[in-house]
Amino acid sequence: MNDYKSVSIVMVEDDEGHARLIEKNIRRAGISNEITHFLDGTSALDYLFNAVEGPAKNGPALVLLDLNLPDMSGTDILVKIKAEDSPLKRTPVVVLTTTDDKIEIQRCYDLGCNVYITKPVNYESFAVAIRQLGLFLSVIQVPDIEEGG
Amino acid sequence: MPGRLLALSVPENLFGRFLVACMTLGFAALIVTAGVAWWVSERNERYDAAVNHTYRVENMIGDVHRFVEQAETARRGYMLNPDPSFRRSFAEARSSLAPTLDTLAQLVGDNPVQQKALTAIRADLAQLTRQHDAGNALVERGDAAAAIALFRIDTGVQVVRDLRRVFRGMLTEERRLLALRDAEQRSGQRTFYIVLIVAVALLILLAAASALTVRRYTRDLTRSRATLQTLNDTLEHQVSIRTADLSRANEEIQRFAYIVSHDLRSPLVNVMGFTAELSAATDAMTGLLERAEATAPDIVSEDARLAVREDLPEAIGFIRASTQKMDRLINAILKLSREGRRTITPEPLDIASLVDGIGDTMHHRIVERDVTLMVARPVPDIVSDRLAIEQILSNLIENAVKYLRPGVPGRITVSGEAVRGRVILSVADNGRGIDPRDHARVFDLFRRSGTQDQPGEGIGLAHVRALAYRLGGTIDVASTLGDGATFRLNLPETLALRDIAS
Repeated sequence: MNDYKSVSIVMVEDDEGHARLIEKNIRRAGISNEITHFLDGTSALDYLFNAVEGPAKNGPALVLLDLNLPDMSGTDILVKIKAEDSPLKRTPVVVLTTTDDKIEIQRCYDLGCNVYITKPVNYESFAVAIRQLGLFLSVIQVPDIEEGG
Repeated sequence: MPGRLLALSVPENLFGRFLVACMTLGFAALIVTAGVAWWVSERNERYDAAVNHTYRVENMIGDVHRFVEQAETARRGYMLNPDPSFRRSFAEARSSLAPTLDTLAQLVGDNPVQQKALTAIRADLAQLTRQHDAGNALVERGDAAAAIALFRIDTGVQVVRDLRRVFRGMLTEERRLLALRDAEQRSGQRTFYIVLIVAVALLILLAAASALTVRRYTRDLTRSRATLQTLNDTLEHQVSIRTADLSRANEEIQRFAYIVSHDLRSPLVNVMGFTAELSAATDAMTGLLERAEATAPDIVSEDARLAVREDLPEAIGFIRASTQKMDRLINAILKLSREGRRTITPEPLDIASLVDGIGDTMHHRIVERDVTLMVARPVPDIVSDRLAIEQILSNLIENAVKYLRPGVPGRITVSGEAVRGRVILSVADNGRGIDPRDHARVFDLFRRSGTQDQPGEGIGLAHVRALAYRLGGTIDVASTLGDGATFRLNLPETLALRDIAS
């Protein structure tokens, strides 16, 4: 990550507790990127595609996506991000959810998700997983948004 | 339609009884008629014999009468003209008279009236014979005049007249008897006709009643058969509708279980996560406390020490234990709901070797707990889902190994029998048994029976039952407390995919 600060993390997570725990553990891994948190799919989509300061208009981002959202399924957001004409189709999406259903996992990868992580109920494992995700984020290369792409 | 069938069975019973009664009555009438006919023909025979008898008696009386008259006439002729031909005719009549009279006596031997008349006749004849003999002797000596003179004074004419009267009396008596028998015969005939008419009427009545009953019964039968046919025709349809309903309900439950368990996990992650955060914070507090105790013990209150050292770790420990348990329960529900969605693949299975395989997997535990696992060979062939059957049997065997009777070496026997397209697999043990009150309960999720001295969440048998249902089967248990348990798994011999409630 050359332009380290400019990669913002967009977290779509309806559970505030989860969001807090995820953020805490990412910070503990030493990641200081800006994290923008959304509790529902609609506002997240709006931010992703339309907000002036959002990733579609303004620089690279990484999406942390929960699948169980109150207003839509996380896969709907995944489909929109990874759509052929989407400006965000190269944006890495990390699905971070409680579901460990085989079919659901396959489906997410088919739709173009880059990483699928099941939230372990055991907190130690959870913390470890998120910290490792943080380490992963620190080395990942995120493509710049192409103008008009 | 149990109600309908029940309604049919009652008249069927009544119907049969009624028909039997009709037939019995009919046969009784026939037997009575036959008896009466026999009786009447017997009477007819007797009557015929009696009529014959009467005619013979009349004949005999006529003969006797004729011979008497012939003798009388011949005697008179002989008196007037001593022609030997008269003498011969007289002798003829005289000689015939005695045997004829004897025959007559024999014939009327049973009738005292005629007997009496006969005695009178014999007396008259004796008198007549004496007179005839005297007259004839005179004529033979050539003294015809003396004979005629004797004839004039003797009572011969009077006797003959008297004889005629007696003969008439006898004839009248016979006629009277005949008339009596005639009347008797006619009354017998009438009785017979009456019996015949009554019997025929009864038979007609019974036949009509039977025919009517049979007709009504047949009509009922036809109607119920039509109903049955309709039911039969629509059965397939009804079954498919029900099956679809069931499948839908089942799917709904599966989805529900999945969503519930899934959504329950989310808050659990928080509880556990923040408990861990609390725990970490407690560590920091403990450090602080230790430092404070070392550097400035006077600021450490007893309350603060208790809170950091005991209350917080205890609370956190309880929260952890509970959330871990809840996690296990949720995972169990999730597992069950997943199992419900797994694709079932029927294949021919060798249960005996499958059980052997389970025994190998559990070998260590089986040896450790001093248990003998046996298969009663041969076990019937079965076509079903391998994984599901394996899970069911290993759960049952595992339970049997787990719940032994203290001090008794475990014996587990797996056996199977084929019953009309079904296979019943039994897993029998000599373990501690299950209280009959808990027989239904043990198959419920999270329910366990007896002393809770073994680890477990009460999931195994619920899982087993769900699997059995999915394989188109059922499971039940026979057991008394302290005397082993036998779990019976009733499965279709060949699992057809359409039998599966998906």
